[in-house]
Amino acid sequence: MTFSTDIHVDKVRALLQAMEAGDERCTVEILDDITQIRKSELHQQLSELTKNLHQTLDDLDVDTPVLLHAKHDLPDITERLQYVLNETQKASDKTLGSSENTLGLLEEVGTMLEGSDEVSKIQPLLDQASQELTNIMLAQSFQDLTGQVLNRVILIVTELEESLKALIERSRHDYDAIPQKTQSEAEQSAEHEKGVGPNVTAKSKLDAVESQADVDDLLSDLGI
Amino acid sequence: MQINRDMNILVVDDFSTMRRIVKNLLKELGFSKFDEADDGATAWPMVQSGKYDFIVSDWNMPQMTGIDLLRHVRADEKLKDTPFLLITAEAKRSQILEAAQAGVDGYIVKPFTAATLNEKIQKIFERVAEKQNK
Repeated sequence: MTFSTDIHVDKVRALLQAMEAGDERCTVEILDDITQIRKSELHQQLSELTKNLHQTLDDLDVDTPVLLHAKHDLPDITERLQYVLNETQKASDKTLGSSENTLGLLEEVGTMLEGSDEVSKIQPLLDQASQELTNIMLAQSFQDLTGQVLNRVILIVTELEESLKALIERSRHDYDAIPQKTQSEAEQSAEHEKGVGPNVTAKSKLDAVESQADVDDLLSDLGI
Repeated sequence: MQINRDMNILVVDDFSTMRRIVKNLLKELGFSKFDEADDGATAWPMVQSGKYDFIVSDWNMPQMTGIDLLRHVRADEKLKDTPFLLITAEAKRSQILEAAQAGVDGYIVKPFTAATLNEKIQKIFERVAEKQNK
């Protein structure tokens, strides 16, 4: 631990003496004095930090990566998370729908079997199949849990985006003047070579096919 | 056309869920002999053994991409005729054309259906048969 040089050892000694002497007024006075020094120091450090931050922000060019991240990547994150939310929702709905339909079919089979000789052999299998389907349906509850987590992350990212925007504008930068992110042709083709995953944001949908039929059209021209 | 359902198939995808789905769909289509690899880099030595009659691969994988695996296969004199199907989320026109240039036999964009997979496999092996008859 480091002590500030502004708090003199004499002052502490005087404090100790005043306390030992039971001089309450003097004790409070010296204590106030000491904490005042600490407070003004803290204040000074804080204002220096703020000044630094302002200076750093002022020095930023309008196309500095951090500004580009703030304007483009954060909304991009939100868009991608929203995609995850929608796709998992759709998949769970489909799974639940198909499970319900299949449960109905199994029930129908059970009804058709009533009175037949085979019922005692087949019914346990039908029951087991229903149980498995129920397990499948229960597993879809992940959508609720992961959905809540994703919503929370989306909220945090959106707040972060707002704060950064406010900070940028307070430092006299024009948020609207932050340019689009650009990518050279070589960078783009290297990225495509590596693979970019599903095109889920409005921007990444440019030049992407929309369906298997589009792919088939494109390739049939090449004899594939 | 009759396809040989006994052929050896290699399924390459870094997501185990997708490998399971593809394998189950292939099973439903009557195939039974599969191996799996979780990356192009792990698939390539397996492919080099010469065991596989058909490769189904994802594009975007951490070490070696599917398109790279395809190029490796096409550049190898012994393996170059192995039918190769890409099943991928990559959907840029330029990427699809690149795959065509690299010699892909079929290209399916995710998410896909069992019917699409069946159709592409039929088409691929019809063309293989045509080539052999020539």
